[in-house]
Amino acid sequence: MAVYRRSRRHRFVLLLLVLTSVTVITLDFRDGGDGALESIRQGVRDVFAPVESAADTVFSPVGDFFGGLTRYGEVKSENAKLRRELDQARNENLRQAGAERDLQSLMDLQNLEFAGNIPSVAARVISNAPSNFQMTVSIDRGSDQGVEKGMPVVAGAGLVGRIVDVSKSTATIMLITDQGSNVGIRLQSSGDVGVARGGGASQQMPVDLIDAGTKIEEGAAVVTSGLQQSVFPPEVPVGRVVKATVSQGALQQEVTIEPVVDLRRLEFVRVLKWKPQP
Amino acid sequence: MTTDPRFRVPLVILTALLVQVTLLSRLRLFGVVPNLMLLVAVAGGITGGPVRGAVIGFASGLAIDIFLETPLGLSALVFSIVGYTVGAVETGILRAAWWIPVLTAFGACAAGEALFAVAAQVVGRPDLLSARLAIIVVIVGITSAMLALPVVRVVGWSLLKNTPRRTTVFS
Repeated sequence: MAVYRRSRRHRFVLLLLVLTSVTVITLDFRDGGDGALESIRQGVRDVFAPVESAADTVFSPVGDFFGGLTRYGEVKSENAKLRRELDQARNENLRQAGAERDLQSLMDLQNLEFAGNIPSVAARVISNAPSNFQMTVSIDRGSDQGVEKGMPVVAGAGLVGRIVDVSKSTATIMLITDQGSNVGIRLQSSGDVGVARGGGASQQMPVDLIDAGTKIEEGAAVVTSGLQQSVFPPEVPVGRVVKATVSQGALQQEVTIEPVVDLRRLEFVRVLKWKPQP
Repeated sequence: MTTDPRFRVPLVILTALLVQVTLLSRLRLFGVVPNLMLLVAVAGGITGGPVRGAVIGFASGLAIDIFLETPLGLSALVFSIVGYTVGAVETGILRAAWWIPVLTAFGACAAGEALFAVAAQVVGRPDLLSARLAIIVVIVGITSAMLALPVVRVVGWSLLKNTPRRTTVFS
């Protein structure tokens, strides 16, 4: 009898906790990211921000070490590739010192093209997502520095993602590879527009809506489309085509792109103070 | 150092949260992050039974929810169910061999991670249920099994009740 009563009490506690959780989930949904729960969330994140920043400095080498261990094959082949490229670059450097300077200037100019006219905030990445189900990073700039939800984020080479959460001193970026991310893109060679979806940890992004008749070459550049109400400004480099195939009878191609920015090794980014055009 | 479980348990959860957010989020094995907060819930169930497992699971889940983009309370819901279930199952085990917590941590954390993806699907995040989930579940299970013994020990220590010290009077 006593055992039965005790197990009823156990179930009652579980039921209470489940109901509390469901209530919190419901309140969070109803607030839509602006209510009291969100303020508490942001407050706690602000408190943790200095700790995260300090931990980033301390634990980065540890993380790199473990990352290197589990990606040994990839690191080894990357190393060999880099050595080959370095040898090539040394040879070309002797012959093309002048041309390289010009190229660097052009690259700088190109960088200015996609971000130069838009006011921006430079930020340091302080932590990665503590979960396996989201591709996000936190940065050390928040609403105090003018960062707002929805703002696009870029790195030197191109698009990184967009701001999905902001506290006073930190912000969270949803990377373009997150499975909940969609980017309106345009193929630079043909002008075709489509939507690149986040592919998760694979770091590759499937692209929808590319016409089956369009000729696409491997390595073709992909930029943001910037169509009306797009969440990203136009002409920001997104990635390069790694695969494009057409199945028989299909209306669209199966295109896969790889981001131009190495999203696994982000250190510094720029938040563009840009809002979608109505 | 306080000897009251009401202080020790939050201390352990806070420490676990710090380790999860600052250190473990960088230690990705094949791109997968070990889930220490879920393991704390499981350890709560192993050492404290169903009620304490559920309460610790709820607290650790709510703590990590603050740093996630999934709805607040989702991890709390899943972790409290996992903590309760582990506690209820462990209550029936009479002989505690060292490998039982290890095996329990493997199974419960793997199941908890899968349950989280399913719960997320219910609340409108269908992208979490993907082919990669199998890899995530296995690696989270393995890393949890590896960390199980020390974590169970620490959580067990935090749940120890106060016992007045015996003083022997020699006459």
